[in-house]
Amino acid sequence: MIELRQITFSYKGNQTGREGSQEGPEQGKGGLQNVNLTIQDGECILLCGRSGCGKTTITRLVNGLIPRFYAGDLSGQVFINGQDIADYPMYEIAEHIGSVFQNPRTQFFNVDSDSEIAFGMENEACPPEEMKKRVDITAKDLDIEHLRGRSLHELSGGEKQKIAFASVYAMNPDIYLLDEPSSNLDMEAIGDLKRHLALVKKQGKTILIAEHRLYYLMDLADRIVYMEQGQITGIYTPKQFREIPEARREEMGLRATSLNTVHPKTAIPVPSVPLLELKDVALRYRKHTVLDGINLTAGAGEIIGIIGHNGAGKTTLSRALCGLHKNSDGQFIWNGHPQSNKGRLKRSYMVMQDVNYELFAESVRAECTFGIRKAPPGFVDSTMEKLGLTPYRDKHPNTLSGGQKQRVAVAVSMICGKELLVFDEPTSGLDFDSMRQVAELIRELSAAGKIIFIVTHDYEFICRTCSRILHVDYGRQCEDFPVSSITENQIRQLFSM
Amino acid sequence: MSRERRRLRMPVDTGRTGFWIDPRTKMVILLLCVLSAAMAPSLHYEVLLVLLITCFGIACRKVRYSIIGALAYAAVYFLTIAALKTHGSVQVMLAAFLGLVHKVYPCGILSGILISTTKVGEFLSAMNRSHVSQKIVIPVAVMMRYIPTVREDWHFIKDAMKMRDISPSLKSFLTHPGMTVECIYVPLMMAASKTADELTVASVTRGIENPKPRTSNVQIGFGVWDVVVTACFLALFLAGQL
Repeated sequence: MIELRQITFSYKGNQTGREGSQEGPEQGKGGLQNVNLTIQDGECILLCGRSGCGKTTITRLVNGLIPRFYAGDLSGQVFINGQDIADYPMYEIAEHIGSVFQNPRTQFFNVDSDSEIAFGMENEACPPEEMKKRVDITAKDLDIEHLRGRSLHELSGGEKQKIAFASVYAMNPDIYLLDEPSSNLDMEAIGDLKRHLALVKKQGKTILIAEHRLYYLMDLADRIVYMEQGQITGIYTPKQFREIPEARREEMGLRATSLNTVHPKTAIPVPSVPLLELKDVALRYRKHTVLDGINLTAGAGEIIGIIGHNGAGKTTLSRALCGLHKNSDGQFIWNGHPQSNKGRLKRSYMVMQDVNYELFAESVRAECTFGIRKAPPGFVDSTMEKLGLTPYRDKHPNTLSGGQKQRVAVAVSMICGKELLVFDEPTSGLDFDSMRQVAELIRELSAAGKIIFIVTHDYEFICRTCSRILHVDYGRQCEDFPVSSITENQIRQLFSM
Repeated sequence: MSRERRRLRMPVDTGRTGFWIDPRTKMVILLLCVLSAAMAPSLHYEVLLVLLITCFGIACRKVRYSIIGALAYAAVYFLTIAALKTHGSVQVMLAAFLGLVHKVYPCGILSGILISTTKVGEFLSAMNRSHVSQKIVIPVAVMMRYIPTVREDWHFIKDAMKMRDISPSLKSFLTHPGMTVECIYVPLMMAASKTADELTVASVTRGIENPKPRTSNVQIGFGVWDVVVTACFLALFLAGQL
């Protein structure tokens, strides 16, 4: 049993409740106010709410990271099986509570999958024979035998996340804590995660999971805890939760509870004049062909969603569109003229999944002109105004939230006069409000005549924004069709729904 | 499909097969290498040291890395020879700089080989057996794990710079040094602090601080290769002191 008694917490100074990687430090975010919650053994609890509502903070309290790793003002107590966890060191808590986090890249400690699965057991000083047995059982139970003995750096994000879960599973904890585990996963990997969670639930384990994507947890959760500004404002059963009307749910800042109720929005008329054309494009990495046979045309204002499995070559394709991937065959034609890498580089801009990589300057205003030759000051200011960045002009980009950082990157692209934009997973780890804002931003860019490509796994987001879908898998372009109510079934099939 | 096949062709050996040396031996040879380089009597001796490191690297199956390292060293070597033929202040300046390169380079390339061939689990077990304090071991382990992520970060940053029309090349470094450094430094630091935090969190929640005598998935221990390798480096060190 987990008991949180009268918890009030605020992060100290700059250390913030980073609700996932996209969330920037903002004053007073992520703290808790007088939270009481009791979780019975074997229960599956889903924590939901907007970014910064404090759901991640609750998971950190239970696994002891607060106050040991994240400092702050804490009052109240956390009891596990009647014992105050403040009295125990981290490594003892770790034997009973397993944690899985959001970012698959930074959760593993070894270079090969077997060592990684055994890592927690090694720390516990588990005898080697038992460890071997346990690794075998884990791989079998979670159906990841094909991932054994592989280098972790070669696995896709979804596969890494499976190994992270396996490593926790191998330690056989009583409580599983998951903090936005699906943010970087494709639909199939989310399905696997759901199966794994169902398995541990059947074993009678307690599960506490903080998430933005809710649909996959509706059959698993026993109770759904809704939080607002550091307080628990509602506890629902899945049945009650499903009955919340759509308008109210969106007001609460929550994502869909079932993807069956999400349908493509009205289609944007496809423009007749093609601006960009790809002819027989093949992309290679060293001597190995990553993607082959890409043929497509796109007109100004089109929003094209690039979908496919983790590791299908979507990133390579988007890098090639921006002229960043050089090893390619075929032609990229812009307005009737073939384009070199350099020409594409001049014309296009990528908004990366981790926007931090493309922010260099010390203020938003400086960022908007950084490295750009001949940026007319009037145009810079009007662009910032248009994107709602004027209030933040003197702030450091790193103090902004994830959504705002994306806006800064978009502002840069507009000031550079880029005509083709690629968004790489713009909604990973974003709550409903931020997703809606990104969708609006992209529609505005489309209205301004930009060609937009979006690499995404997010069905809800595609329905809201994309006018077309480009499906790549198995090393080639598979499908290319418009998004509308007519093609809804086709889209659903792609997401294996 | 094809990608899948490519991955399967590169299996990682999880057990101890063939040439394998204990992390503790690695620390000893690194120490010997530092001493040899610092007290090297001549340029030719340095060349021998780099050759030994290259052979060791190839034995560790880091063929490409070792050969590139050796070739780069050869370039430095010939540059030094050329520098010695110049006169006056140019010679002083070049000799001072190249002298430093000669002291640091062998240790750098050896560390690269050692870090890339040591699994974190092995390292932790070995340190645990030698009763080294966790206050030292855990940060070093996080650092070892962090190094490969720098390379990934660098690729992203390079892309971002190109899209801003700032080319990540030597030329732009010479023409706009301030801006180029800022471009690399700022995002790299941001990424580094985040990555280090996340790695630490992932390790403490899996009990890395547990003081119990650690077990290991891969069995560690000294073997015949440890003796051979240590003997080679020791012999070279002693030869330099005669």
